[in-house]
Amino acid sequence: MLSFRIRHNYPGGFTLDLDFRAERRVTALFGSSGSGKTSVIEMLAGLRTPQHGSITLDGRTLYDSARRINLPPQRRGIGVVFQDGLLFPHLTVEDNLRFGAKRRRGARPIAFERVIQVLELAPLLRRFPRTLSGGEAQRVALGRALLSGPELLLLDEPLAALDEALKHRILTYLERVIGEWGIPVFFVSHAQAEVRRLAEWVVVLNAGSIIAQGAPGDALAQPALLARHDRSGPMNLVRIDEIRQERDWWLGRIGDQFLRLPPLAQAPSAPLFVEFPPAAVLLSGHDIADISARNHLAGAVRNVVEIAQTIYVAIDIGQPIWAIVTPEAARELALEPGRPVTCLIKTHSLRMTE
Amino acid sequence: MLSPEEWSAVGLSLRVSAWAVVLGLPPAVAVAYALARGSLRTRWALDTFVNLPLVLPPVVTGYLLLVLLGRHGPLGAFVYNTFGLRIAFTWQAAAIAAGVVGFPLMVRAIRLAFQTVDPRLEAAARSLGASPINAFFTVTLPLSTRGIVAGAVLGFARGLGEFGATIVVAGNIPGITQTLPLAIYSRIQHPGGIAGSWRLVALSVALACLALAAGEWLEHRERRRHA
Repeated sequence: MLSFRIRHNYPGGFTLDLDFRAERRVTALFGSSGSGKTSVIEMLAGLRTPQHGSITLDGRTLYDSARRINLPPQRRGIGVVFQDGLLFPHLTVEDNLRFGAKRRRGARPIAFERVIQVLELAPLLRRFPRTLSGGEAQRVALGRALLSGPELLLLDEPLAALDEALKHRILTYLERVIGEWGIPVFFVSHAQAEVRRLAEWVVVLNAGSIIAQGAPGDALAQPALLARHDRSGPMNLVRIDEIRQERDWWLGRIGDQFLRLPPLAQAPSAPLFVEFPPAAVLLSGHDIADISARNHLAGAVRNVVEIAQTIYVAIDIGQPIWAIVTPEAARELALEPGRPVTCLIKTHSLRMTE
Repeated sequence: MLSPEEWSAVGLSLRVSAWAVVLGLPPAVAVAYALARGSLRTRWALDTFVNLPLVLPPVVTGYLLLVLLGRHGPLGAFVYNTFGLRIAFTWQAAAIAAGVVGFPLMVRAIRLAFQTVDPRLEAAARSLGASPINAFFTVTLPLSTRGIVAGAVLGFARGLGEFGATIVVAGNIPGITQTLPLAIYSRIQHPGGIAGSWRLVALSVALACLALAAGEWLEHRERRRHA
């Protein structure tokens, strides 16, 4: 378990004042740029010394201002995957991978061969970092941190530098690593979709302080986050664990309802993640026939938030999703917690990622 | 082609310059690293001190070295009392003079190389279990080889040309401290010396070109290895 209690004043007036615990396997630190996320990573890794407070990991004190303890990075047992990989350019992929393993004897044993297998690194071993694509470099960086046998894996926006298609492939690798080795993961992100998919616990950061923490569905439902229009703004991500074929289209199960998936080149495999913006969801008081939208999902309103003449409605359809409507629509439909609604979602507004 | 005396001047010059680099390079690496990564406050004082030999008249540098290394100077007295050795007016003094005068050039080239290495690579090495010293030797130093080679070559070439500080602290003793430039200078002093010096002058030019070419070649090889 990680415990982080830090206060740090920066020249220029910015203050970081945080107190959180990460008890789950995968914890996300969520916030837009300038919220202090990178400082937290640096303080955890021992690359920046905070002014006041303490950091402990599984009962070991990494930093404590009162007791004058400040373990150097090499003795913290924290593996860091940096945003841009930061592979050593003068070493081959194999030497990069073995860098940490060689220096941290007595750490959690991780079999080299197994990491190569899980992250599919075998064809890259003899190459130099500059010949790798962004996704390959990120996989090597993940393997390198993993092979140092860390007690905690720290990922600093591991996907930010990658394009969409690659992002989802790396997410798959990350999930494999989490499943295989069970090393606690702490990652920093400003993309809701990533956080919803990976994290079991989210700490939401805004301007140096925590504005919410909890399970992703709850913590990300903060009014302060809803008004964002970039990737830290609201985005629906639904996880589908079961796929069924009906004639020549595919259906994904959510609770006891089914979502009709857009046309696919090949048979999808579970788990599948379906992404759609809140603006793609129409709300209706009762089910409507004679409409082109193929998905009619029954749900109940959980929460209604108004921000700048936009009503954000949280609906439980077996998984939490967001819809946005105008204030008049919200009044006419009498949207309030507990109200049953039908969510109409066009099949073609769904984006799927594995 | 060359007289024994001329040969001795060439050999001495090469030996003095080589030792100047051997002695000067490790501290130059350390100082360059401190300048590339150190805090702003310490940097200013260090930077000024290191660059002094570049702007002082070499004769002044030689004078200061003589004061320091002479038999009654603080360092010279210590070495004489402890080991019974004199430094001033030996070829070792010439090597020290060449090393001191070439030091800022070495530091400058190496510092530039260190500055191009992303300090976060060291942070990555640290997070993988490397101590600061280990991170320096396994990441920063190998990534700076080109700059270090360039610094060594500059220092060597500067050592070949050293005159002012050398003549003050090491003298101009044929066969002992008379390096190439000093030999040329002595020759020119004699009647008909200008004509008689051309061989040594040509040799000086050739040596300087050779040093630069060797540096270029080493750098090229280094670049190929990483490209």
